[in-house]
Amino acid sequence: MHTDHCLDLLDAYVDGELPSDERAAVRAHVAECVSCAGALESLAATSRILQENLVHYVAPDVLKARIRSALADAPASELDSSPALGPTPRSTSARPAPPSRWLRIAGGVAAAVVIAAASSATTLAVAHRDDSSRRLANEVLTSHIRSLMPGHLVDVASTNQHNVKPWFNGRVNLSPAVPGLDSAGFPLVGGRLDYLDGHATATVVYMRRQHVINIYSWPSADDARDAAPTTAESRSAQGYHLVSWRSGDIEYCAVSDLNAGELAAFVVLYRRMSGEPSR
Amino acid sequence: MAPSTQSVDRLEALILPHLDDAYTLARYLLRDEHDAQDAVQDAALRAVRYADGFRDGDSRAWFLVIVRNCCLTRRRRQQNEPPMISLLDDAAPLSDSSAADARAIERSDRELLARAVSTLPVEFQEVIVLREIQQLSYSEISDVVGAPIGTVMSRLSRARKRLAVALGRTSQEAG
Repeated sequence: MHTDHCLDLLDAYVDGELPSDERAAVRAHVAECVSCAGALESLAATSRILQENLVHYVAPDVLKARIRSALADAPASELDSSPALGPTPRSTSARPAPPSRWLRIAGGVAAAVVIAAASSATTLAVAHRDDSSRRLANEVLTSHIRSLMPGHLVDVASTNQHNVKPWFNGRVNLSPAVPGLDSAGFPLVGGRLDYLDGHATATVVYMRRQHVINIYSWPSADDARDAAPTTAESRSAQGYHLVSWRSGDIEYCAVSDLNAGELAAFVVLYRRMSGEPSR
Repeated sequence: MAPSTQSVDRLEALILPHLDDAYTLARYLLRDEHDAQDAVQDAALRAVRYADGFRDGDSRAWFLVIVRNCCLTRRRRQQNEPPMISLLDDAAPLSDSSAADARAIERSDRELLARAVSTLPVEFQEVIVLREIQQLSYSEISDVVGAPIGTVMSRLSRARKRLAVALGRTSQEAG
């Protein structure tokens, strides 16, 4: 093998892309040719340095959640034209937009949610707020906004509820409900620890399209336990919506810049799908 | 679960496992992390549209083609691109040879390395990223960039030689 030819093959040799006969020929030539041996060593070292030192980026959780959400929200006609679904009506012109998609995906539960959201939106109590609850709402809102800063959204990043829920054990004194709500268009992003109202707080993080939804949960004050679960109360501040309720001995607050109607519907769904979380 | 998640599952299986690779390619081709995220998201949406056209085969290469095209489209649209100061035209190596020794690269040198890659012509950048980071075969790289294998080999070889100079290593020729 001639040196010029060998030099042309060195990259493929280093990358293991040569057929065995050419590989053997290169190896034999390099054993006898000083300049090719030097070139090979330099090339192999360069490749190794690149492989070991070029940054491998990891897609941010927010991006993954956004894409999962986008895949779930893909236009009905795109998904239904896939053969995997079996026979489907050819005409899509009679197909309405999102509300029927909710019904199709989550069946009766979603139907109930849509109806419940419509009625609860008109009956949500906008209670008179005293100072302490306004202060608490500000605390929650501050925490929510901080969580939106890069790198501060989750302490445990997982789209799997079976990873997120047990993660809180031993870290906070309650075990939050982490229902899987992907099929309703609310992918799970992960979990986070916070500190609110003097309590260690368990925060479960969902997304709706590009909107982050934080559900904070912390222990109720002693005198509030054993009371019946409360109706969700909502308020808004600085363009964010907060929905609060108490169930069992846990205080909850869901925060998002998602519109109030969808956030209310989300809370109804979360409460319905989560049963009664325990300490 | 819900019945119509079957096709969503298929889409997820085609796309989600490759998000890290997709994002890595986009970061190198576009540099800015938000542009990279947007490009990957565009690619995912476009992949949904073309998913029926994908039968059997390597879903990673299939998705990376789409990601690459989204990135290159964005690059063409990018205004006010900072002037490309080629660190590699400089005759002197970036650091002296002993400091550039294989195991002793520090964080700032990593960034220098990334910058050196980013100043390569885009057709060199993408083969370096696809080969050295994502370990695609020549055949897969050829599919992703839409060039014959011989061209891929030539670009890879020249890209590596340029980077070798940037790393301060001696090489036979700076191609």
